[in-house]
Amino acid sequence: MTSHAEAAAHHHGPPIANQSSRVDARVLGMLLFIASETMLFGSFFTVYFFVRVANPDAPSTWPPPPYHFPVFVAGVNTAILVTSSFTMHWALQSIKRGNRPAFLAGMTLTFLMGLAFLLTQLVEYLHVGFNTSSGAFASVFFGLTGLHGAHVFVGLTLLGMVLVRGFRGHFSPQHHHGVELPGIYWHFVDVMWIVVYSAVYLL
Amino acid sequence: MRRGIVQLVALGVVIAVLLTLVALLFKWLPSSASVEFNRIQDVYWFATAIAIGIFSLVSAVVIFSVWKWRVPLDDDADGPPIHGHTGLEIVWTAVPAVLVIAIGIVSAVVLAKNGEAGSTPPLQVNVIGQQFTWKFVYPGYGNKTSGELVLPIHRQTKFTMTSVDVIHSFWVPNFGQKMDAVPGIKTTIYVTPTRLGNYQVVCAELCGLGHATMRAKARVVTQGQFVSWVKGK
Amino acid sequence: MTTAQHDHVGPQPYPEHYEPPHGPRWRLFFGPGLGRALWMTPLFFSLGMFLVVGLRWWWGWPPAFDWTVIVAIGGMVAAPVGFLTGIGAFDYWLHYISGRPTRPEDHSGHGATSWKDYFRVNTDHKVIGIQYLVTTFFFFTVGGFMAMLFRAELARPGLQFLDSQSFNGLVSVHATLMIFLFIIPAFAGIANFVVPLMLGAPDMAFPRLNALSYWLLPIAGVMFLASFVAPGGAFGAGWTGYAPLSVDGPVGNIFFNMGVQWAGASSVMTALNFLVTIITMRAPGMTFWRMPLLVWANFTTSLLVVIATPFIAGSQFFVFFDRVLHTSFFTPDGGGYVLGYQHIFWFYSHPAVYIMMLPGFGIVSEVISTMARKPIFGYRLMALSLIGILVLGFSVWAHHMFVAGMANWLRVPMMITTLLIAVPTGIKIFSWIATLWRGRIHLTTPMLFALGFVTMFTIGGLSGIYLGAVPIDIHASDTYFIVAHIHYVLFGGSVFTIFAGIYYWFPKMTGRMYDERLGKAHFWLTFVSFNATFFPMHYLGLRGMNRRVFDYPAAFGGLNFFITIASFVLGASVVVFFYNMIMSWARGPIAEGNPWRSHTLEWQVSSPPPIFNFDEIPQVVGGPYEYGVPGARHAVLAPAREVEEVPV
Ligand code: HEA
Ligand code: HEA
Ligand code: CUA
Ligand SMILES: [Cu+2]
Repeated sequence: MTSHAEAAAHHHGPPIANQSSRVDARVLGMLLFIASETMLFGSFFTVYFFVRVANPDAPSTWPPPPYHFPVFVAGVNTAILVTSSFTMHWALQSIKRGNRPAFLAGMTLTFLMGLAFLLTQLVEYLHVGFNTSSGAFASVFFGLTGLHGAHVFVGLTLLGMVLVRGFRGHFSPQHHHGVELPGIYWHFVDVMWIVVYSAVYLL
Repeated sequence: MRRGIVQLVALGVVIAVLLTLVALLFKWLPSSASVEFNRIQDVYWFATAIAIGIFSLVSAVVIFSVWKWRVPLDDDADGPPIHGHTGLEIVWTAVPAVLVIAIGIVSAVVLAKNGEAGSTPPLQVNVIGQQFTWKFVYPGYGNKTSGELVLPIHRQTKFTMTSVDVIHSFWVPNFGQKMDAVPGIKTTIYVTPTRLGNYQVVCAELCGLGHATMRAKARVVTQGQFVSWVKGK
Repeated sequence: MTTAQHDHVGPQPYPEHYEPPHGPRWRLFFGPGLGRALWMTPLFFSLGMFLVVGLRWWWGWPPAFDWTVIVAIGGMVAAPVGFLTGIGAFDYWLHYISGRPTRPEDHSGHGATSWKDYFRVNTDHKVIGIQYLVTTFFFFTVGGFMAMLFRAELARPGLQFLDSQSFNGLVSVHATLMIFLFIIPAFAGIANFVVPLMLGAPDMAFPRLNALSYWLLPIAGVMFLASFVAPGGAFGAGWTGYAPLSVDGPVGNIFFNMGVQWAGASSVMTALNFLVTIITMRAPGMTFWRMPLLVWANFTTSLLVVIATPFIAGSQFFVFFDRVLHTSFFTPDGGGYVLGYQHIFWFYSHPAVYIMMLPGFGIVSEVISTMARKPIFGYRLMALSLIGILVLGFSVWAHHMFVAGMANWLRVPMMITTLLIAVPTGIKIFSWIATLWRGRIHLTTPMLFALGFVTMFTIGGLSGIYLGAVPIDIHASDTYFIVAHIHYVLFGGSVFTIFAGIYYWFPKMTGRMYDERLGKAHFWLTFVSFNATFFPMHYLGLRGMNRRVFDYPAAFGGLNFFITIASFVLGASVVVFFYNMIMSWARGPIAEGNPWRSHTLEWQVSSPPPIFNFDEIPQVVGGPYEYGVPGARHAVLAPAREVEEVPV
């Protein structure tokens, strides 16, 4: 924007809109989007509730024998994802302080951990020993973890964007919205995973 | 202004009388053939009375205002700057609240009565919906199965419904009671027939291509006729 | 995503050096636009197809060519993405993602100089508003035409000229188009045009997102219509698509499952955009208590959309998975729970009926106050009652399931909350009629529709109260009584307000005046034939005619014949409307900036508004409806510089 500053001084464009709230429009947009996403997860949790609780012939053990969920692998995966949230935060703080190498390292780490999570999840799908047609418990399992996986994928795309632009030197201590917004999304994906993990694997 | 109010009230009364005539002169409800439907009709009339009152009020004010205060399109004066009136606003918040809660209470009472088993054990009928026929099973009579619903008069009947494929809905318009037959769960309603005669069982939930024609016959017969029917093969 | 402030700061003067982007011939196919969409859509379809076939082959799932999955992934996910990419909805973001410096916004995607500009990705909220309205009225005509067809079928008992499958298909697609492609987006269209102007903002907060939201809509519409060519016919499980019927039914159902996703995504994005715009871009002095009620209405509606819509997305995903991935969310054999579908579906679709009504409430408030030349009676309570409906609206969904076999204990609480909605709604009705009281009433066409709305919606609301009372609903559920209720609230309610809004803002949108005589003819024709069509349905329903049937007892023949004739007149009344709109748009008399002498901001600029709405952001100094208050103003257009407003 600064590069056009002189042009803007006498441009014939629109008037600058009044900023009627302290909240930044982009952050607010992202938060509302996350609210909507949370409700989408909510609908999946609702169906989980119906299948497992409201249903008169719900299985008494979860998952019904002879099946097992890979609780341990998913636990390791949880640790990876939670860590990636911290590296994300570190990356954002670094760019705010102008420490570009730390920012890039943080982003790369975050990205790699997200990728590791997603791949582990995929490999797990191939080894769980049941598939989508194995019954309602499997529907819920694949539904919730799959929906979350899709979000990780979107999150990774956003992080990839930040990486590309980061390596091209697009961010600075003054200009880091492009890091902050994907960051918010990434934390959301992370927190959501903890809920999914607790509900599906642990409860 | 006093005259205006009188005119408004007169207009409202005229509308209310007309509506009452419409409500009474047409036979809006099928004639009731069950105790439960009698109660439902009471709720219906209660709601109708309130609805007529509300609609008369609203439409009378609209018609009256247009009639009194309509101006030509090129008139450019403004109306009086009335911003509100707290008393009025409280009234039209509180009165509807009271009215609808009254409807709610009446409904809840009727609902509780209609869902209650009487002192004598009810006649049990299992209803099975299947694209696109009804099957009625009488577990008390050696699981007698029939495609026709036969009920003894004045005997409370408990219907337990389920479906083998998609959702259907069991409804006999003259009984006023309706309940979906849902695969995987059991649902119930009670009906106590009060009139002899032939009725129709209608499927009220869209269930596929044959939904419109998924009907069965319902017969309310005397106790004696029922026993001999049920004993027959 | 950048904010409007950022977007519009560009080096290119406008409009002096404006070059329409219709360039050399190659640009026709490689530049953003319909030409590029023409080849990108099939390209993406093929990509989707290869992906499906490849994966299935790799995993060894027979058959590799499963057309259901190919159509679902290739046709309903990949091809639409291809279309959007082709038309240029993603161009800016692709530049951004690839890390290239983004092109400064040169406003080439802004404003319209010819009708061709309406077929491009345009970021101007006024153009988008009109794109929405024209599109939605197209689908209204199609949906209405389907109603004419099945009404003709219903003129006599027994089958006339349709078969059972096409009857169910027509009814379902009729309702789906009316709801997802007409009412909801038509309100979004009106709001798109009006809300930024009313707020004193140059555009929406996210203009490109706004454009994208619009272009998702035709995709959904085409998908619903395309289901007619699917093997087995169109989706026929009703617009409610109850499982398990929608899982077992013909493959056309997946067109519903996926179409809803596109329409839903469109409406969530628009709603998000409205919320951000309303919160962050109000003109100085425009506090929440100075916002016009239309803005309030869209604010609450948008909250409903953002919170509720994901639930219908979820419900349709589950049905889709049950069919395509053989999961068992709703199939009891595999341990699924059938009623789960209805709970999830109605948790969206009940709030959705308010999504389809609250913006109309907003329109009517504007029209009545302006045309009666009086301030809205009880402005604050009007705004608060919207919030009341918003909150209550989330606690009543199970009133659609009173006879569905759900847990019995849920019935009475849901009944009470349902009935209580009459209270905030009543506040609105009473406030409108109190606004009329002692006003100076200009009985223009928009006012006629607004008053028609007040009375007809009251009938529809009252029949809702009958249904809210569980015992009555037990008898009346799934009958024509419901069909009557639906049309009284949706036609007598929503559609009347849409007509009111179109007539009211027609001069603002087109710069021309509609024909008042034709407008009145349209109103009376509609009003009479609407009542003749739908009022007798109450009777039919209570007497025992169930809904969604092509056949009915012979005793109902006469009345159904009457209804069919009346519905044809209703259809014809729409022709009067279209004639008026098209002729007036082409050569109606030039409209002034403010023909209604309204106080709200959109009327303080020229008709149609200048490309960037305002030369300078106006300063709001008072309430929006101060009619009759001597010297009162809502806003001054050249802002007083010394006024320092603290952002809220
Ligand atoms: C614009 C859309 C819209 C709106 C606003 C409403 C508003 C209401 N609806 Fe309606 N409804 C639908 C659209 C809508 N509905 C649709 C599409 C269906 C069918 C879906 C399907 O199955 O296909 C449906 C179905 C439906 C059912 C389910 C019926 C069944 O399938 O068995 C019920 C049951 O409670 C119901 C109730 C209500 C109530 C209580 C209101 C209330 O909000 C109404 C409140 C308004 C008033 C009451 C009038 C004004 C108030 C006053 C003047 C104050 C004084 C009033 C009193 C004291 C009573 N509706
Ligand atoms: C906003 C929503 C909306 C609107 C505007 C309408 C408009 C109309 N609807 Fe619809 N309807 C619904 C929403 C709506 N409907 C819903 C949600 C259902 C429930 C579906 C379900 O069960 O799943 C339903 C169901 C429904 C039924 C019940 C079907 C059944 O249960 O079997 C009927 C029956 O008569 C009906 C009729 C009509 C008619 C005659 C119109 C008319 O008003 C249409 C008038 C408009 C036009 C005709 C359009 C344009 C004009 C032309 C094309 C000109 C040429 C035509 C001639 C002159 C003949 N509708
Ligand atoms: Cu069975 Cu409809
Ligand atoms: Cu509802």
